[in-house]
Amino acid sequence: MGVEYKINRLAATNDMRPMVDRHWAELRAAKERGEKVGWASGPSFVFPYAMGMKCHFMAGYAAYCGGIGAADELMKLAEASGELPETCSYHRLHMGMVEAVKKGIPIKKPEAILPLPDLLVAGRYCTEQSHYSESFYRRLGIRVSPLELPFIFEKEDRPRLREFVYRQIKENVIPTLEEVCGKPFDYDRLSEIISVLKKAATIRNKCWEFFKTKPVYWTLWDYAVSMAPVIYMMGDPESIPFYERLLKELQERKEKGIPAMAPDGEKYRIYWDGWIPWAFLGKFMRKFTPNGAVCLCGRYPWEMFPHPELLDPEHPLETVADWMYGEKGLAKNMAPRESIEFISGLIEEYSIDGLVMFSSKSCRMWNLSQMDVIDALDKKYGIPGVVIEADMLDPAMVSDSQIDTRLQALFETIDGRRRR
Amino acid sequence: MEEVLSKIREVTSDPYAYVAGLKERKGKKIIGCFPMYVPEEIIHAAGLIPVVIWRGNESVTWGHAHVPAYDCGIVRSFVDDAVRGKLSFMDGMVFHVRQCLQVGEFPLIMERNVKPAYMKILYLPPIYPGDAVRSFLSDDLQSFRRSLEDFTSKKISDDSLKKSIEIYNENRSLLEKVYEIRREKPGILKAREVMQIVWSSMLMPKEDHNELLRELIREMEEKIVEAKKGRVKVIPVGCLCQTFQFDILDMIEDLGMVIPDDDLYVGSRYFANKANINGNPIEALADRYLTKTPLCPTKGVWDIHWGDEAIKKMRDNDAKGIISIRVKYCPPHTCYYPDFRSKMAEEGVPEVMIEMEHEIISLEGVKTRLQSFAETIGGV
Repeated sequence: MGVEYKINRLAATNDMRPMVDRHWAELRAAKERGEKVGWASGPSFVFPYAMGMKCHFMAGYAAYCGGIGAADELMKLAEASGELPETCSYHRLHMGMVEAVKKGIPIKKPEAILPLPDLLVAGRYCTEQSHYSESFYRRLGIRVSPLELPFIFEKEDRPRLREFVYRQIKENVIPTLEEVCGKPFDYDRLSEIISVLKKAATIRNKCWEFFKTKPVYWTLWDYAVSMAPVIYMMGDPESIPFYERLLKELQERKEKGIPAMAPDGEKYRIYWDGWIPWAFLGKFMRKFTPNGAVCLCGRYPWEMFPHPELLDPEHPLETVADWMYGEKGLAKNMAPRESIEFISGLIEEYSIDGLVMFSSKSCRMWNLSQMDVIDALDKKYGIPGVVIEADMLDPAMVSDSQIDTRLQALFETIDGRRRR
Repeated sequence: MEEVLSKIREVTSDPYAYVAGLKERKGKKIIGCFPMYVPEEIIHAAGLIPVVIWRGNESVTWGHAHVPAYDCGIVRSFVDDAVRGKLSFMDGMVFHVRQCLQVGEFPLIMERNVKPAYMKILYLPPIYPGDAVRSFLSDDLQSFRRSLEDFTSKKISDDSLKKSIEIYNENRSLLEKVYEIRREKPGILKAREVMQIVWSSMLMPKEDHNELLRELIREMEEKIVEAKKGRVKVIPVGCLCQTFQFDILDMIEDLGMVIPDDDLYVGSRYFANKANINGNPIEALADRYLTKTPLCPTKGVWDIHWGDEAIKKMRDNDAKGIISIRVKYCPPHTCYYPDFRSKMAEEGVPEVMIEMEHEIISLEGVKTRLQSFAETIGGV
């Protein structure tokens, strides 16, 4: 009889759902109080936050809707109103939400509805993010403050890209916010946000240490549902005690010898590339767990401030520019060549056995050149990898048998190489 | 006309052989530019031959070991051509990686599998407000110029760049003239011939193409064309980055419609707007890029509606409907399309959308849609 693997669930992550529910409820409440609210794409929500403006975050809110099971209905609403099914599922989800709000269409999960914004701060990491903001402008006449955020494809381009983004923030984003809010930009509040973020990310990094151990004490899925405090909940004082509780539980697990994977720890340690499949976390967990496989790190989840020591509350705007375009900024890991270097670091640090490249059918942001990245890393480390094709939210784009076959092939290849 | 058109067909029927032969004949290096906005003039001024990368002529095979099936046709077919060695005559490649996400596939794939002697990445920004965009764009173009100077070990003077701009501007004027005559004499050229004419401009040295166009225009002006009765005019819109299937263009005409003008990339969009040759030539190229029309959904323009532009073109040409040609897995067009369609509905403009794929296309299904569209707008 083979080993029967099971996941030991963490208790601390249960705190997350009420925290994010509260976060989004505060945005709704702000609008009800007559305050101006923003929507944002890319990490540009930090600028409205500094002004005390409640603001949504495109990817974060789509993830939330996926997690609470509201995504499919909203995407169907969007398609019924003319959106094409191959469009980015985050885009479709938001268009569906707008449709529901505009026409007063009731949906099964009313907590998935947010008030429409007074301002869109449109970070354009992914080029599709501008299409989403443009549509809002055309359909609803909402004011847009755009911010171009290119990936860094060549190392030598980094300084001029940083300068470009910094100038856009200074010359466009901040003056627009000052005009909309009717007050000067609050650099002190931005410093406070960065200060809280720095503390939270420092504790979170201590939690990451428990991914390095063998056996591992938590999984990527545990971390995925715990990321909000270092993304769109940045600056929330609750983020620090949350990570303290998480760290304490991981320390206790280690002391008591309770691995993430029962009974005795994992058989395969897997790197996960690309988006998290928010609407299908349970489904994906069930594909890995019976095989003794644990996903434990990834490029996207590791983009959230892996170097808190570089966050400098004394220089808030420079810090914001640097977290994207500094020497270790996240924009460079999004281009395939640079990603090889970054993933290499994760492979070494977390003792990875195999790579799973999640290729989203509706969003190509993390998909770029994934097959060549696998090939390059296989040549460098002798670690096999597979691409699995699915989507963050859209069930029509998830084919179970294709995924199962490829994962099975990956596990067998790892076994084969171990026998050599 | 037939002689000129036959030369053009020779170029477009086998662009691989033509460009490879061109390299031999001219003794110059070939630089492939991924559509749509690489400023070819700078390459020309460097003494190299720019050619616009095209959608291939075969189904994708090896390419699918590098890119997924849900990338658009030209991305997949270009990768396929490149990794199979079909583009070995290209000495260099230029990619504008902020046009759409999929262009970001190329740099690593080319570097690992093709290894062109020269590769340049451009970040040409969207047309957002503020001075930062303008100065970054100029800087990007200067960086392009410097990289070509390094590659050729030769300075690109302002004068040589202005001369290249002049040659390109002439090509744009000549293509405009071809379009003008087509508007005056609908049906003088078949739609596929017009697309071949523009496509050949993307492949041929502009000096040679200008010569062909001058001859063609002379003959077009002389030719008398009798207007066919019952033909209804339509404007095709879209098909970003790539050529459209010629069979479908034929089908549009066979179904009793005639195309007096278009809003296609391998069409009027390619030669729209000239660069000013007075003053700083890099700034002139930046100005041209920053021109908001013809509106392109890859350029982040919010204050002009593509639908309004298309309707204006339709009305200016006394056309009765619009045929949207949307490339499958083209996010910029796909995201824009619902608003475009809404505008058509608001304005009561008949419109039909044809989805284009690289390999598989159900011509019968397309025919049915086009046939009913033609009948709706009062065609044969």
